[in-house]
Amino acid sequence: MATIPDDIFFATITEINQKLKAKEFSVRELTKAFSDRLERLGPRYNALALSLRHQADKEARDVDGDIKRERFRGPLQGIAFGAKDLLAYAKQPTTWGARPYAGQVFDYTATPLAKLAKTGAILTGKLAMVELAGGPSYRYANASLTGPGLNPWDPTRWSGGSSSGSGIAVAAGLVTFALGSETSGSILTPSAFCGITGLRPTYGLVSRHGAMPLSWTLDKIGPMCRSAEDCGLVLHEIAGADSKDAATGGKSFYYAPQFSRDLKYVRVGFAPADFDDAAEPAARADFAKALETIRSLGVQVTEVKLPEFSYGPIISTIISSEAASIFEPLIKSGKVDELADPKQIAGLKAGLEIPAADYLKAMRIRSLIQSAFSDLLDNVDVLLAPSRFGPAPKITQPLDRPASSTPLIPAGNLAGLPALSLPCGFADGMPIAIQLVGRPYTENTLLAIGRDFQARTDWHRRRPPLNTIANT
Amino acid sequence: MATTIKLTRREIAAALSVSAVLLGQTPAPPVPQNSALSPDDELKAARDAIHQNADQLAKFPLPMSTEPAVHFKA
Repeated sequence: MATIPDDIFFATITEINQKLKAKEFSVRELTKAFSDRLERLGPRYNALALSLRHQADKEARDVDGDIKRERFRGPLQGIAFGAKDLLAYAKQPTTWGARPYAGQVFDYTATPLAKLAKTGAILTGKLAMVELAGGPSYRYANASLTGPGLNPWDPTRWSGGSSSGSGIAVAAGLVTFALGSETSGSILTPSAFCGITGLRPTYGLVSRHGAMPLSWTLDKIGPMCRSAEDCGLVLHEIAGADSKDAATGGKSFYYAPQFSRDLKYVRVGFAPADFDDAAEPAARADFAKALETIRSLGVQVTEVKLPEFSYGPIISTIISSEAASIFEPLIKSGKVDELADPKQIAGLKAGLEIPAADYLKAMRIRSLIQSAFSDLLDNVDVLLAPSRFGPAPKITQPLDRPASSTPLIPAGNLAGLPALSLPCGFADGMPIAIQLVGRPYTENTLLAIGRDFQARTDWHRRRPPLNTIANT
Repeated sequence: MATTIKLTRREIAAALSVSAVLLGQTPAPPVPQNSALSPDDELKAARDAIHQNADQLAKFPLPMSTEPAVHFKA
């Protein structure tokens, strides 16, 4: 058996793919090494929901056979990945991170996982998440069947959620990439807090068939990876129309960096206050450097102002209404009381009482938000802001206090816009990140900027201190 | 949503193994559950939050012609 060097656990998809093609190690050896690491370290960070070691080994054997016969399926062939435990994987438990669903088993596999299986990517485990992807709201980091997501950079701090296990597993080198989901911030937040690169696709670009619904008009599935390049490679495989998800718009995504626009023609808008007054003091220096690095890419940088709406109340009304409808059987059965977070329990119950008029008003204002962003994005191609205004909070800190969340997170989700979160430095020893937001279906533009940004910086290459990982 | 399915003994064993994984998780560090609120108070707070949201929405003037957002266009 070949020994898998430590660097491989933190290598990109392309780097590992080259080594597999060169037969430096087999897919089975690689899969075993990742499974061992996921099972050993995953529980320490409350990142693992379910190891799929045996299924992964079987898949790896098949992929090795393909590689032996020089049948190459693409860059994801043989790559170990994990999936947020809100995605169904046939005949295995899918808990949605919530005690009332701990024994839930589906007889089908979610479309994004089925698509990845065809590429030869190896699913090594289901990853922990905040219960019901956060539901309408939650107060504590331990609002999860598996306990609070512990940040690999400092286990006294939160990983972010609701795709907590996905953020942790990529950051700690337990998988090469992971799938997460976002309704409002659940990919961008753990990506930012854990120091990885996360992509929230345009609403409807990736099928949600087999994913737990939280809010039909907001839910999205996306990749969480080591680099913008990796996000492009994964999105290329999981995007596209699906007759089983009516929200998919029939659009495909082809990751084509060779055809990306010359960045000198790309207009980037930002609000100076986001990088100054709004940002936490410890984060301002690295945010400022990130802004300068973006300028140095040759893009046209200009100041903009976000359209003024009450994004929080609008998105909260929509999520609460839709979530309460989705989970009405859970609420009415009384099993909702088995959830871990008292605020989420109360929020789901109260959500059933939201008048239809309020929901429709929120959705009507949402139309105006979409128009306003469409107008704004006529003048600039990309919006730039911190992903969060500061680093991850302590896990003991209530999460419903004055937020470090940027208004661009609810705004971008309400408008269905794609976003890319890029690590851009540190504050108080913890990762911080910027986000790029574009028009619908302009993921290639975001990824082109991300690639160039990461060619000039090494934040995405930083690893959590090994002693933190080993000794926790 | 979940459906009734038949499982082999091996599949049932795999399903049950999830509890073993859960038992292996690090015990949650002390998180202050000092929500002094009773379940009834939590529910009242959630209802109050919904009413506050509604008040915010009510302040926003909407043209009668504005339809709910149901389509997302490129």
